[in-house]
Amino acid sequence: MPKIFIDGQAIEVEAGWTVLKAAEAAGVHIPHLCYHPAFAPEGSCRMCLVEIEGLPKLELACSTTVKDGLKVNTQSPKVVEARKAVLEFLLAEHPLDCPICDQAGECKLQDYFEEYGLFRSQFKETKEKREKKLRLGRNLILDRERCILCTRCVRFLNEITKTKDAGVLNRGLRSEIGIFESELIDNNYSGNLAQICPVGAITDLDFRFKTRVWLLESRESICGLCSRGCNITIDSHPGHPRIPRVRRVYRIRARENPDVNSYWICDYGRYGYASLDENREDQLVWRKDGRLTRLSWDRVVQILGQKVKSLTFHRRTDRIGIVLNSNLTNEELFLADRIFRKGLGLHKFWLADPPQEKGDGWLLTPERTANRRGLQEIGWPLPAAEPRELLGLDLLLIFGPYLASGPGLADLKSVLDKVETKALFTSHVSGLDGLVDFIIPVPVIAEKGGSLTNVDGRVQTFAPALGFEGEGLPEWRALLDLARELRVDSKYFWPMDTPRAVFLALQREIPFFRR
Amino acid sequence: MAFWTGTRSTGSWKAWYRTLNEKVLTRHFGVEGLHRIDIYLKYGGYGAAEKALKKMTPSEVLEEVKKANLRGRGGAGFPAGVKWGFVPQNIPKPRYLCVNADEGEPGTFKDRYLMSHNPHLLLEGAIIASYAVGIHSAFIYIRGEYEAIALRLEEAIGEALGKGYLGEKILGTEFGLNVVVHRGAGAYICGEETALLESLEGKRGHPRLKPPFPASVGLFGCPTVINNVETLSNIPFIIQNGAEWFIRQGLPKDGGTRIFGVSGQVSKPGIYELPLGTRLRSIIFDHAGGMKDGKKLKAVIPGGMSAPILTADEIDLPMDFDSLVGAGSMLGSAAIIVIDEETSILDVLEAVAKFYSHESCGQCTPCRIGTSWINKIVRRLAAGQGEPGDIDTIVRLASNIKGKTLCPLGDAAALPILSICQKFRSELERYIPHA
Repeated sequence: MPKIFIDGQAIEVEAGWTVLKAAEAAGVHIPHLCYHPAFAPEGSCRMCLVEIEGLPKLELACSTTVKDGLKVNTQSPKVVEARKAVLEFLLAEHPLDCPICDQAGECKLQDYFEEYGLFRSQFKETKEKREKKLRLGRNLILDRERCILCTRCVRFLNEITKTKDAGVLNRGLRSEIGIFESELIDNNYSGNLAQICPVGAITDLDFRFKTRVWLLESRESICGLCSRGCNITIDSHPGHPRIPRVRRVYRIRARENPDVNSYWICDYGRYGYASLDENREDQLVWRKDGRLTRLSWDRVVQILGQKVKSLTFHRRTDRIGIVLNSNLTNEELFLADRIFRKGLGLHKFWLADPPQEKGDGWLLTPERTANRRGLQEIGWPLPAAEPRELLGLDLLLIFGPYLASGPGLADLKSVLDKVETKALFTSHVSGLDGLVDFIIPVPVIAEKGGSLTNVDGRVQTFAPALGFEGEGLPEWRALLDLARELRVDSKYFWPMDTPRAVFLALQREIPFFRR
Repeated sequence: MAFWTGTRSTGSWKAWYRTLNEKVLTRHFGVEGLHRIDIYLKYGGYGAAEKALKKMTPSEVLEEVKKANLRGRGGAGFPAGVKWGFVPQNIPKPRYLCVNADEGEPGTFKDRYLMSHNPHLLLEGAIIASYAVGIHSAFIYIRGEYEAIALRLEEAIGEALGKGYLGEKILGTEFGLNVVVHRGAGAYICGEETALLESLEGKRGHPRLKPPFPASVGLFGCPTVINNVETLSNIPFIIQNGAEWFIRQGLPKDGGTRIFGVSGQVSKPGIYELPLGTRLRSIIFDHAGGMKDGKKLKAVIPGGMSAPILTADEIDLPMDFDSLVGAGSMLGSAAIIVIDEETSILDVLEAVAKFYSHESCGQCTPCRIGTSWINKIVRRLAAGQGEPGDIDTIVRLASNIKGKTLCPLGDAAALPILSICQKFRSELERYIPHA
């Protein structure tokens, strides 16, 4: 392994690494704009110039590969001057409209000026006037004045989506990013362009002028809209005294994970955040004789527990039905398995999932639920729920609103009317609400903790990224409460009070999760 | 000839007469119809190709060219033989030859004469070079404006194909070569070798990051040799007469002659083929007939517009790569632009600044914005709206471009601008009101 020196600090690196990567590994940040780890180095912004001992000129950190004994200086006066010079050039023709720019606060140009620039402008000439809002794609607006021509967008479309929709037009100072006249960029990954733009040149129509980034709280999560399990960052508004909160989530960004989604997420996931705030079930209610009564979960768990107890006491377990879905976490599916199947000996289980749709051949899978693989591995080969199969039940616990999305809602009504007690655990309002007795609001994936198994069998744990504001509780807690109420395996379930504790049990019992 | 060891200095008629006989590349330029293959053959054409292909191995050819110290005539002056030697021989990919006939450097007009008067000489050079490196496809990338010359080259290729000097089994040997003429679309940057390759591949003419160098990863990702027209035109003479003869035509470290293109305010502008090491003063005053209308010399740009300017006092120096570097300038494409006392240096600066800001490809930051920023300041100076400190700003910006760009265009813009500002500062300051 080559040994190199970065600012005097010796570091062992892998052969083939670039100086920039090696410096990053040594904890030294070398500023860069056009370089993005997903693409081949472009070397056009000239921000990452460093001094290498023995070479007359400054060299690019992003493209120079390491050699044994290389001595790199990232802080020498020559380097500092060069960085300042590049910033001076970039800012000379930059509109400096940060006050109305959505990138302000997370703009690399802004950050680098703070860190390496801080000079007074010497530019006395007229700045170029350019197009300020050119529609690039479904959700993309290009501001050519702010553009620094790093060509990350062009390279993304050439190298990642391979759709080659954009390019650089004209020459010299008149260079600008452009697309084909008649065709907007329209692919399922176009939203990434706004994310990789280091400045505010490409902005997201969906985010433009909605808020300021420094008001947002960024939390890590996993996308639950398909079974890929892309790693995401959810940017939400924590609330601000002067800004009435109309919605919590302002955007979803891709989070790097080389094993799952690299640096990208699809537009389906990126723009699907509305579902986090819209149509949410908030109140825990009991619908009796057409009247809605608010009540607490403690009371509900007593009522449901009583019902189960009396049915099992009379050995009528075949009159209890459970409808699950594959958006539940590994822990929840495992608990359902342990409590209902192994603990109570029930055997009427069904699955109700949103219908499969077309995948895009890359990240987006045809299954639009997060944990289909986890369901399989926990040992639930479940039949799809058919309305008429639900006939003859006394108690039905329904997890998820998806039963309503299948065909035959009218059939379903007549069937469910015959079931004595029906409890629905759901995050969203649906057509089922009017057909059941208990509605227990539950959090969505972004609001709870646990783990999911993605389509490739990768188990990913996550913590809540958003607070859950409904009156209900996460399914895993509801299941544990039920287990306690019913005194199923009390010793086994007693120590469990976090998803982590459930996951440890899961790992103990199912070899798949031990990997 | 005893004087080959030293530099040529005399401005005498005798020396001038001697140089007449030392013409190599342009010796037969006066011959009517030299561009026709039968005339070319009559004057010994394709003899060197025959010698190389039939009597020498590729490595012998390569060694001979290396020994001749033929330095590239495009501007950078990299030894041609060394460049060929970099091409890897043991890989399964094809190798390519690209002839750089883009000739975009302002003041340069030597290649057009070579190609229009003697296209077969270039083809012969290309054949020998290809034979030495193991190349079977060559491209001539010619600037778009040279339409007639491109047609003439194509005609010459047709003739050579007909006579068996190109195509498969050249002169009955196992060696074959195809030559394609490709016209550029009018961008200075496409004379930069990697931008030329991009353009040839059908892409936007943007220089590539180096390394890898074209010798290992060039056209279509394959090893590629890129040589200037004049460089390749010298090859047949090296093969025919030997490396030692070639070195005697110039200097030990700079073999051969050089075609100097003299333009500007001289009595006889034009191309002059002279030994490397001929003094600049001699070229202007002996060969090019001195200053036009007897005006005084003010400055000379000695190697195409990208070479730093020399003042009238600095012209007593031999024209070869190392001497000019020593004088803080460069030989470049050996295009000598002569400026007389009546030309305002601001006009020169404006021409330089405008050219480079117009021709910057826009890929890297310092060149894209730096050249146009300088151009904007110079335009303001020319409009009489200069402000104190403007020249300092120009100098600072040019220094910030120098050595920090992706390709040599940044340096090409910065160096002449810096030298003009440094050497003619007092004159420039006179254009600033109240300075």
